[in-house]
Amino acid sequence: MSDDDLAAARERLALAQHALLSALVAGSPPPEGFDRRGLAAQRRALLTKRAHVIAKVAPELREILGADFPRLFRAYAQGRPMAEGYRRDAADFAHHVLATTRDAERRQRLTVWAARQSDSTPEKHGLLGRVMSALKKKGS
Amino acid sequence: MGYGVRASAGARKSPGTSHARKASTGWRSWRRTSAPDTSPPLLRLCERGTPVVPHGVSLGLGGADRPDLGKLVALAERAEALGAPLVTEHIAFVGSGGPLTASPRIEAGHLLPVPRTRDALDVLCENVRIAQQLLPVPLALENVAAFLTWPENELSEGQFLAELVERTGVGLLVDVANLHTNHVNRGEDPATVLDELPLEAIAYVHVAGGFERDGLWHDSHAHPVTRPVLDVLAELCARTTPPGVLLERDDDFPEADELAAELQAIQAVVTRASAKDVRTGVPQRVR
Repeated sequence: MSDDDLAAARERLALAQHALLSALVAGSPPPEGFDRRGLAAQRRALLTKRAHVIAKVAPELREILGADFPRLFRAYAQGRPMAEGYRRDAADFAHHVLATTRDAERRQRLTVWAARQSDSTPEKHGLLGRVMSALKKKGS
Repeated sequence: MGYGVRASAGARKSPGTSHARKASTGWRSWRRTSAPDTSPPLLRLCERGTPVVPHGVSLGLGGADRPDLGKLVALAERAEALGAPLVTEHIAFVGSGGPLTASPRIEAGHLLPVPRTRDALDVLCENVRIAQQLLPVPLALENVAAFLTWPENELSEGQFLAELVERTGVGLLVDVANLHTNHVNRGEDPATVLDELPLEAIAYVHVAGGFERDGLWHDSHAHPVTRPVLDVLAELCARTTPPGVLLERDDDFPEADELAAELQAIQAVVTRASAKDVRTGVPQRVR
């Protein structure tokens, strides 16, 4: 297979996958031919998984929001796709709640948590990891 | 046979990788090299001679883009640090968008099935070759569980996997719970998939618990293993003796004796179906 053929295959696949994923996490209309029930189940499963991982990555958020966590996370995440990994997603979620809640104690605790997060950006490990990271930054 | 858990201690430093611990017969011995970013509990397992297999979840080799070199390098470093006999990933895509679509990149946050088309297979094979060139040990890929069926599918699951193996030499990590999931959710008969698989490519086997709701199977890794999943394992073992079987459990851990009973049930299926003996690993949580 030629490089051109493969590049064309990548492009077709990219469009097909993006149409499906956009329907699952970004509120786009579903591509033709997919079973509605399957789409709904997959959409729910992705949202549940995302909430579950955020609760693990940022247990403090789970604690601060208590029983409201699932409802607030759904409200935040529906139609708002994750773009830069779970840590960023957790931070964006916290800021979303901060912008929408009037609960003073909750606001105070979220503000402290968010400030602490921005102080502790994890470093890339290993020489190769740092080189790759630098190359990627240069390329983008 | 062994028991796998997500290594929570390592999750922060290296997102996108979990570790399957595996105690089994017939695996290459490991060697330990010092490296940062390897959690002490995992190294303790290595010191006891337990093969540890890094199990990637975020490479998205079934995605349209070439695999992320930074993630591949991290996986390669980890495999070396743990003296892993192999590394595993999934036949899935985990995000979309970016330059190929002229739209912002978005993440699924989980594993999504790829269309079983010629295009997807060509791209997957190329991505696997890129990964194989960078990884220090063999790669094996796992079939995923799905709720969705791509309307564009041109090949059966078995045909897709068989051609993938033939073109790349990649190993297969056969997840029998995922075969069961796709039976319930997509009407794909596990026996048919197994009939079409190149059995000699099987690196090892995953078993996991889940639950059924509204006619759909949820592969939760947080519920007991059910009989239908064990039946698929029996189907597999009737065709070949797998090099190892691993129970996946990520959450809601039961008491040790309940877990031991699950492992015994798995062991019983393997023993009944195959003439060879498979040693049983003692369940142990990585903390």
